[in-house]
Amino acid sequence: MVRISSNWLNASLLTLGLGIVPMASAELNIFACEPEYGAIASELAPNASVYSATTAFQDPHLVQARPSLIAKMRRADLAVCAGAQLEVGWLPMLQMKAANPAMNSTDRGLFFATDHVETLDKLDKVDRSMGDVHAEGNPHVHFSPERLLQVARAMASKMEQLDPDNAAAYQANLKQFEQRWQAAVPQWEADAQELKGKKVIGYHSNYRYLYDWLGVEQTADLEPKPGIPPSSSHLASLLSRAKQGDISAIVVASYQDRRGADWLAERTGLPVVVLPMTVGGDDQSTDMFGLYSSVIGKLKGTVQ
Amino acid sequence: MKTTSLFGQAGRISAVAAALTATFAAAETPTLSNPLISAVLDGHYQSEDRILGREKGFGLGETELAISANIDDMFYGKITTVLEVHGSETEVELEEAFIQTLNLPAGMGIRGGRFLSDIGYLNNQHPHTDSFVERPGVYRAFLGSHYFDDGLRFNYLAPTDTYWLLGVEGFSGDSLRAADESGEREYETVGVYTAYTKIGGDIGDSSSWQLGLSYLRNENGRMSAHEEHGHEEGGHAEEEHGHEEHGHSHSAAYTGENMYGADFVFKWAPDGNYKYQHLTVSGEFFRIEDFMPLEEHHEEEGHEEEHGHEGHGKDYMQGWYLSSVYQFSPHWSAGIRYGQVDTQLMHEDHFDAQKLKETDVMLAWHNSHFSTVRLQYTRQDGTNFDGFTDDNIITLQYVMTLGAHGAHQF
Repeated sequence: MVRISSNWLNASLLTLGLGIVPMASAELNIFACEPEYGAIASELAPNASVYSATTAFQDPHLVQARPSLIAKMRRADLAVCAGAQLEVGWLPMLQMKAANPAMNSTDRGLFFATDHVETLDKLDKVDRSMGDVHAEGNPHVHFSPERLLQVARAMASKMEQLDPDNAAAYQANLKQFEQRWQAAVPQWEADAQELKGKKVIGYHSNYRYLYDWLGVEQTADLEPKPGIPPSSSHLASLLSRAKQGDISAIVVASYQDRRGADWLAERTGLPVVVLPMTVGGDDQSTDMFGLYSSVIGKLKGTVQ
Repeated sequence: MKTTSLFGQAGRISAVAAALTATFAAAETPTLSNPLISAVLDGHYQSEDRILGREKGFGLGETELAISANIDDMFYGKITTVLEVHGSETEVELEEAFIQTLNLPAGMGIRGGRFLSDIGYLNNQHPHTDSFVERPGVYRAFLGSHYFDDGLRFNYLAPTDTYWLLGVEGFSGDSLRAADESGEREYETVGVYTAYTKIGGDIGDSSSWQLGLSYLRNENGRMSAHEEHGHEEGGHAEEEHGHEEHGHSHSAAYTGENMYGADFVFKWAPDGNYKYQHLTVSGEFFRIEDFMPLEEHHEEEGHEEEHGHEGHGKDYMQGWYLSSVYQFSPHWSAGIRYGQVDTQLMHEDHFDAQKLKETDVMLAWHNSHFSTVRLQYTRQDGTNFDGFTDDNIITLQYVMTLGAHGAHQF
């Protein structure tokens, strides 16, 4: 009974809302903070209108709470974001300015991926002198195939909650995605066998979950501290570290400046590889499957 | 995982049920025991006095302490106190103490209490996010650097693909009152009304823009004819503080009945990635009209008034600035700004034109997002500003924030 009156109220509010087309309720309007969550949303709701606030070439920590994003969030039914404070510098401002009640509560149209998985590297104590670290753990969970599936399942439930009429379709799409995903994971694992035990220098802890899955070790970061760009003194210390000879490559994500990596590569002879951070980061990464294949392929191609 | 039945409960219909069941989530998830608490430290050394701005020597700018949190599922609240040092005295000023609705439908929002007016581009931003030591001259002259007041705002965000915001505000207007020359002036208790609109969007992945128009009606902004003679500054809202108070007065130095504003901002970053490089170009224009005392003054002393009009007294005051700031690495940014203000100084029965031209060049070092050290050179060229000559000003400033600092505006 509550649902009926609530729907009636929604309908009348929509009519008052000057020009929101009622059929919008049939297909979800989805705001993705990062492309990976937009890609998962598209798998589950192929007909939904999905807008990604960032690209693979933008640092998701540093996004402007710009007018276009406010306008998009104003009209969204569902926002899918990483959470764990990744978007702390801009999402709260969008929520405040978008004047869309659905965007304010995870009980309604707000979805944080990291609410549904166990994150790595949680911290008991966070201090700014440690750099830009998150107490809730590393938020870049989309490179863990298992966690990604957990996120997809939770996201499908969220979609069912928001759009119960299409619940069966979301479940069917989830099943299909699960099957394809579970079939792909062993192939990637077999493919990445040779990466196990390899050591790399990274820029930031972007690929923490990928390495955790594949058994790669990121021995050092180009950043002296998370969020702080490489300094010459820190690069010099990496140079002596790299000279120990056990490191296979320097890895940079698609949105990161590669000058520090190139400097180090020149002096150590180590190869530099730029990996897509997310969907859209290179030609192959058109969806999550392409992204995983691309990242593994590029790592293998470099580390050999 | 929340089920559909819970969704039913937490629907728009029952705020009480929602308050009980909904876990309210922002990215920082402030909770009862964990509101956002932040402080801003701002200090400087300046080589000369700035017209309508900071004094020379060592000094503190706005030392700010802010607490904010969602109050419940319906309201957000924020308190910002500012400590200001005037010579040997330290004053505590409440700059913000407002509540903001979170759950109104159809893009509506209401803010009440004390808050920064949303007119113009810079006004609703906290000064510590600025790229220069001081607000442009036009802000210092017409808005007391940044206009905050006790009032009520209603705004509406249109459900359009292009950002389109409309808003109206009503304020007490105390800090924008024209001086009481007679000592018997009766001010309107709701003195200021504003209306504004902003539109904005993206151009590709790399560029974003916003345009704004604003209007401010100030019922108490018109000057009154003064009866006793004396060399007083026309329209100065706080006569008693006079020149002593550069930099710390939040009262506008020049007021009028109607003020019109236009603003724009354009931001660019390679691929829209703001981490390494980005450019911000912004500009604003404000014009004040209807500031001269009303007719009875004309009738009594028509000759002088006419002289005023012919000689120096334009019947408007206006100012503008254009600023460009480029962050060329995560640690460094540089900027240039030029601005002009044309004001009218009431001198007995006529007006003298004043003009301030300012050129600012700044270089800032950012150790992180939370700490900035800035070196700024200003060339100020003032005409008819009592006690000021043309000056070259060097300012060294730090601005640092500590605690859980909230997200920044565009």
